Amino acid sequence: MADLLVADALEKVYGEGDTATRALKGVSFTVAEGEFASIVGQSGSGKSTLLNLIGLLDTPSSGQVLFAGENTTALGRKGRSRVRNEGLGFVFQFHYLLPEFTVWENLTMPAQIAGRTLSADERSRALETLALLGLEGLEKKNANQLSGGQKQRVAIGRALMNRPKLILADEPTGNLDTKNTATVYELFRTINAELGTTFLIVTHDRAVAQQTDRILEVRDGELVQDVRNDYAG
Amino acid sequence: MLSFKIAARFLKSSPGQSALIMAGIAVGIATQIFVGSLITSLQADLIDSAVGSSAHITLLPGDGQTTVPGNLAAEASGSETLVSTAVPVRTLSGIFVDSDDSVPLSITGGDAGLLDTIYGLSERMTQGSFRLGEGEVVVGTVFSEKYGIEAGDELDVLLPSGSPATYEVSGVFDLGQATANERFAFVDAGSAADALGMDDDEYSAVQIQLTDVFASSEVAARLADEFDVEAADWQAENEQLLSGLAAQSGSSAMIQAFVLIAVALGIASTLAISAVQKTRQIGILKAIGMGDAAAGRIFLWQAALLGVGGTLGGIALGYALIALFGVVPVPFSIRPEPGFIALSAGIGITVALLSSVIPARSTSRLDPIEVIQNG
Repeated sequence: MADLLVADALEKVYGEGDTATRALKGVSFTVAEGEFASIVGQSGSGKSTLLNLIGLLDTPSSGQVLFAGENTTALGRKGRSRVRNEGLGFVFQFHYLLPEFTVWENLTMPAQIAGRTLSADERSRALETLALLGLEGLEKKNANQLSGGQKQRVAIGRALMNRPKLILADEPTGNLDTKNTATVYELFRTINAELGTTFLIVTHDRAVAQQTDRILEVRDGELVQDVRNDYAG
Repeated sequence: MLSFKIAARFLKSSPGQSALIMAGIAVGIATQIFVGSLITSLQADLIDSAVGSSAHITLLPGDGQTTVPGNLAAEASGSETLVSTAVPVRTLSGIFVDSDDSVPLSITGGDAGLLDTIYGLSERMTQGSFRLGEGEVVVGTVFSEKYGIEAGDELDVLLPSGSPATYEVSGVFDLGQATANERFAFVDAGSAADALGMDDDEYSAVQIQLTDVFASSEVAARLADEFDVEAADWQAENEQLLSGLAAQSGSSAMIQAFVLIAVALGIASTLAISAVQKTRQIGILKAIGMGDAAAGRIFLWQAALLGVGGTLGGIALGYALIALFGVVPVPFSIRPEPGFIALSAGIGITVALLSSVIPARSTSRLDPIEVIQNG
């Protein structure tokens, strides 16, 4: 399959001179369309920094990120915002819902940001997503009125709404109990299988990584392992 | 319109905070409207008292002349659009003599209908009526009370030529000024011509009123130049009153400026707090693709909503204060000027929008990573 994402010699340095810290030291890898992969590493290994660079939330000190054939490193703030809105979906450890808005409004926020009025297709897709996430009937509830698990599922739904090519998940189940964790990974798998969405999941938990098809390990800012996991799924 | 929707939702999510800042704007705008209208009305009242019923410009004979021609009034009126009325008059000094007193009188002779356009005498009569037939005179209330002269009485006056004249008092007027009510008297044009020995086409002066009283100096200068006459204007003769009015306007403007600064600081600080409170939400919105400009507009919209809401409340409160002032026994009433209120509203909304510039800029510069990294 074609490469969706190319991370090319990514470096990230915080600070200057004697106090400079190299969080990433020239990390390179590619992710093909439809992959279900994870990035593992200890706390402070640089895995979240890597995800932030790939997700265009941060800019690399050197190196480049190619997404769907486009060199995103050359883009300005506006261009990066567009790629984040149209091509990427984010799921973070904390749900990051907007407490002032309802479930439906949170779910459709990416489309609203893109300035689109929801088409009939998108409305039915949003309803399907809610059904897929087990959130039927909660559309009009305020985001604050949901449980932790429900909030995280709405966040996943929001990440899916624009049908992004790549979903980046940073410790997506870090705040959830075992049951909700299992549900979320089942969902990821379903979405990956049914929609062909590419997943890149950052976790410090090897048990979680074992459920993905490919495991990339980051240690001290370097990519030390990149293996296929034939036992997943 | 997503920025507007988010702005409205942010305001709705903190109703107490939003209501407080709107109340702050409302009080500021109400104060501005009330103080501004009060000063404007007070000054209009003072100006009306000072020059409302007198000439704004008096055209007098030029060098080497003793009279002005009768057609000067019509020509002056035709050459200046600001002239609302121009009246040829014959003025003379007379001395009223009774058994105990001899009192100087400033007598103005002219056509009753034309004099009425300047002095509004027909509506200012307290006794008798404003009628200037041949040999008739109207006098002021103070003169009437002081010397016991009433409508229907005869008035003996010593003319400048030294010869006596007797007029019949047809009425007593109140021009609202004690000096005028004691010293002024009006007679018909023919009687004044006889007293001064003038021909039919000869007049002492032309008295003029303008639609804009503050244009008197410029108009007087132009008329003097054009018709080669002397032109006296009310502003030159009332410098103290004018400097008093200017000082009053200055202090009023300062009060209004400080109120607006206080309002601006209030809005700016509230929006700055709101920007900090909503950093997380803005970071999320940016992470999922909201652009810098759209994020900045959220605070512009918040300011606009607060500004419009607060200003509308301020206009209502301002009208209420003006209505409340109506029950206070003062010699003038406040007239709210729609133009001034529209200006206040415009200033209120503009100040609100300007106050949002700093939070809007800081929001547009916010990097989503700052929120995502800090949780």
